[in-house]
Amino acid sequence: MGRRKLQRRDKDAKTNGQDSAEEMARHTGTFGSKLLPTVLYMVAACSAIPITDLLDRASQRSDQLHSLSTTLTQDLDSHLPLTVRLTLPRPSVCHTASLQTPNDKEQALQVPESDLLSLARSLLQAWEDPLVFLSTSANFLPHPAQNAISNKIQELRDHSKSLGDGLNILSGKMGPGARTISMLPYTGGNDVGQDTISQLINLNFLLSCFRRDSHKIDSFLKILRCRATGLPQMC
Amino acid sequence: MLRLPRASPLVRLVSLSSRLTGCASRRERALLGAAAGVHHGRGTEGRETGKTLLWLPLSGAKMRNVFEVMLLLLLLLLPLVTAHAGGQPNSPPGKPVLTSCRSPEKETFTCWWKPGSDGGLSTKHSLFYRKESSDAVHECPDYRTAGENSCFFNKNNTAIWVNYNITVVATNSLGSAYSDPVEVDVVYIVQPNPPENVTVSVMEDKGWPFLRVSWEPPRKADTRSGWITLVYELRVKLKEEDDWETHLAGQQKMFNILSLPSGGEYQVEVRCRPDHGFWSEWSSTSKANVPHHFRRDNSTWILMTVFFAFTFLIVAWLLHLNRHNLKRCILPPVPGPKIKGFDKKLLKSGKSNEIFSALVVPDYPSTPSSNYEDLLVDYLEVYVPTERELQLEESKDPHNDRLKSDSSTSDSDSGRGSCDSHTLLVDKEAKEEARQVECGQTRTEVQRSLKDWDALTYAQIDMVGRDVPSGRVKTWPSLYSPLPRHSSGPLDQQSSLQMAKQHSLSTSSFLAQEASGESYWDVCSHGELPRPLRAKTPPHRGLRARSDADVSGAGLKRAPAGPRSLAPHTSEYVEVQRVNNKDVVLLQPVVTGCYQALPGEVYSKVKRVDSDNILLLQREAREEDGYPGAEQENTTQKPSACVYAAVLVQDQMAPMVNAYVDTATMCTLTC
Repeated sequence: MGRRKLQRRDKDAKTNGQDSAEEMARHTGTFGSKLLPTVLYMVAACSAIPITDLLDRASQRSDQLHSLSTTLTQDLDSHLPLTVRLTLPRPSVCHTASLQTPNDKEQALQVPESDLLSLARSLLQAWEDPLVFLSTSANFLPHPAQNAISNKIQELRDHSKSLGDGLNILSGKMGPGARTISMLPYTGGNDVGQDTISQLINLNFLLSCFRRDSHKIDSFLKILRCRATGLPQMC
Repeated sequence: MLRLPRASPLVRLVSLSSRLTGCASRRERALLGAAAGVHHGRGTEGRETGKTLLWLPLSGAKMRNVFEVMLLLLLLLLPLVTAHAGGQPNSPPGKPVLTSCRSPEKETFTCWWKPGSDGGLSTKHSLFYRKESSDAVHECPDYRTAGENSCFFNKNNTAIWVNYNITVVATNSLGSAYSDPVEVDVVYIVQPNPPENVTVSVMEDKGWPFLRVSWEPPRKADTRSGWITLVYELRVKLKEEDDWETHLAGQQKMFNILSLPSGGEYQVEVRCRPDHGFWSEWSSTSKANVPHHFRRDNSTWILMTVFFAFTFLIVAWLLHLNRHNLKRCILPPVPGPKIKGFDKKLLKSGKSNEIFSALVVPDYPSTPSSNYEDLLVDYLEVYVPTERELQLEESKDPHNDRLKSDSSTSDSDSGRGSCDSHTLLVDKEAKEEARQVECGQTRTEVQRSLKDWDALTYAQIDMVGRDVPSGRVKTWPSLYSPLPRHSSGPLDQQSSLQMAKQHSLSTSSFLAQEASGESYWDVCSHGELPRPLRAKTPPHRGLRARSDADVSGAGLKRAPAGPRSLAPHTSEYVEVQRVNNKDVVLLQPVVTGCYQALPGEVYSKVKRVDSDNILLLQREAREEDGYPGAEQENTTQKPSACVYAAVLVQDQMAPMVNAYVDTATMCTLTC
């Protein structure tokens, strides 16, 4: 009987141990799932950068992006004769044209900030795939400065990636409307063109669309930056 | 209305006339054109009017005449007409060119074109545009606002991020010309107006003037909402200069120009540019007068510092090379002690015993035991002066006092051990006694230095107490002539006791005794003899007293017994042989300087003087009477040197009757 008691006690101890372990596991599980975001939140809160600085950095990044795209289009146009560029039919609609953006200053200044950010993020998101397409097609570009163009396209991709990350962080600070992104799928397909001229024309068009969209993003961010400072004379 | 066949002759005429003249005027061309227009059925007012004008006067024969007149007129007028007109045929207008489209604030924009040739006709230009993704063609809404050959798009007609396809058409009566289309996006053609309200002020910063430039963005550009972001640039130059100095100011609206080369009038201009756009024109020049100042760059300071540092390094290097010489010059070496046997290193170590032990000469002070005997005075010269001598004494007292003082203040100077020193070797024990008499030494110690003095003083017998009542022993040189002249009176005063031994004093001077009556008796005597003498001081007195006369008598007696040739200067030395039981000092003569320790042989009497200046002495065998006055049979020839010396001394001493004996001369007595 003593033995049994002992056994039972052992068994009880085991079960008790198991139960406690399970409880521990449960506790740790729940605890662990909550721990990480808590820590991250605290880290984010402690090292919070003011939104003005974030917007400043974002607008600088977008400025660089636009400048790059401008030089790229100019490089591409230099090879293509003007007459050819103008006579041949070309697609007139960018794949991001469906996105409703303000057309003049009054409209732009009336758009709320979160919507502006949302527009910027949507545009940027819309160009993720086309830039991949651009970089791949630039490798086979029949252009004398093909290498430089290819490098610049790669830079474009890097800049746009970092800007996108920054805007994602910003969106978390600007309200619920900022987080919405309109999907603008690229419908141009992977077919650049059969001959050199058409290839160049297509690429030129694509880059011009990107140039405009990057300008839009830049403008929106600069409006946001000016609004965030609260001091009109500082803009 | 139009009769085509009738028109044709006119046309033919005109063409004929033109062919004749060779050139066609514009008017003719117009007429032709009008006719052609009539032909072609183009209906324009101008042509119709021309047509009607043409046709009115031509009717019938009258018409023919009129026609001919007109022809003539025309022919006449042709040169004039041709002179007036240019000389080109009408043509459609040339192709206009869109020069630029600009938007100052991203809200409106203006396009300018350059018209081509108008083809001789008034040409009208029109601008048509087509928006992107729209086929509707619109004409320029405003041709005037922006001036000639321009098209202004106001806010309502301006859309951003939209491509405008703009074409300018130049039309004239003959045709039209289309310009090349231009794709314009407003956001890419922004060129703002120049900045406004550029103010330049001269300010001072720590004495240096600088220019502060401030401006405002162009009025139209909306920077306050962030619609346009402008960056600025300014340039500055002196009035008389040609080249500008440009500075990028970024987005700020104020700038400090610090590096002003000199004073004068400065001109400043500012321009601006949107983030992705074109530079504006330079603003109007703003001027400022900067006062003249001496400008010292940092570079000047740096140059000076480098120069001085370089010089300093060179000087330091030179000093380092010559440091030994400099050390010698600035800090001359301190002369160290140059004492023989003195060791500086020992001094540094600080052990005084070692230092002074090194200084100590091993032989100094000489141990008394070794030289003790030498220092003992063996002989005492007793001189009994006469009255005259006494007087002389007294007269000499001050001199002796001086001597005494000299002696008292004398130090044991090692350098002055010669015989001719005037200093007395003072016996410290006998200092209380008024006088001290140096005790001589044997002739062998004549040249002895004063280092023997201590021994000498030690050997000096204080046998004669102070309480010697009477009598003085004055050790005078025995050559004194007054010797025989002393009387009893002075004798009484003098020391009565006359030693048996006489000794010549070598290194000392003689002090006259005091005339105080206090008698003393400084005696340098043998070690043995004085003791008994001392012990018998009372008998001394008696002895002295008694022997005064004897001595004096002896002296007197002796005087004539001396060498005849030297009768007045005879002096003899006596030696104390012993003191007999009757308290009689038995003296025995001794020849000065030629002392020989031969008790048996005593030469005290001078028999005669040879021709060779040799003193022949007699030996005196008798000892009982103690006085060497006895005749002696034996004569011994003394060494000539001694005698000679004595002679010499006597010669020298001859004039010194009244003077005391100079120890120097005394020294010469001994060989």
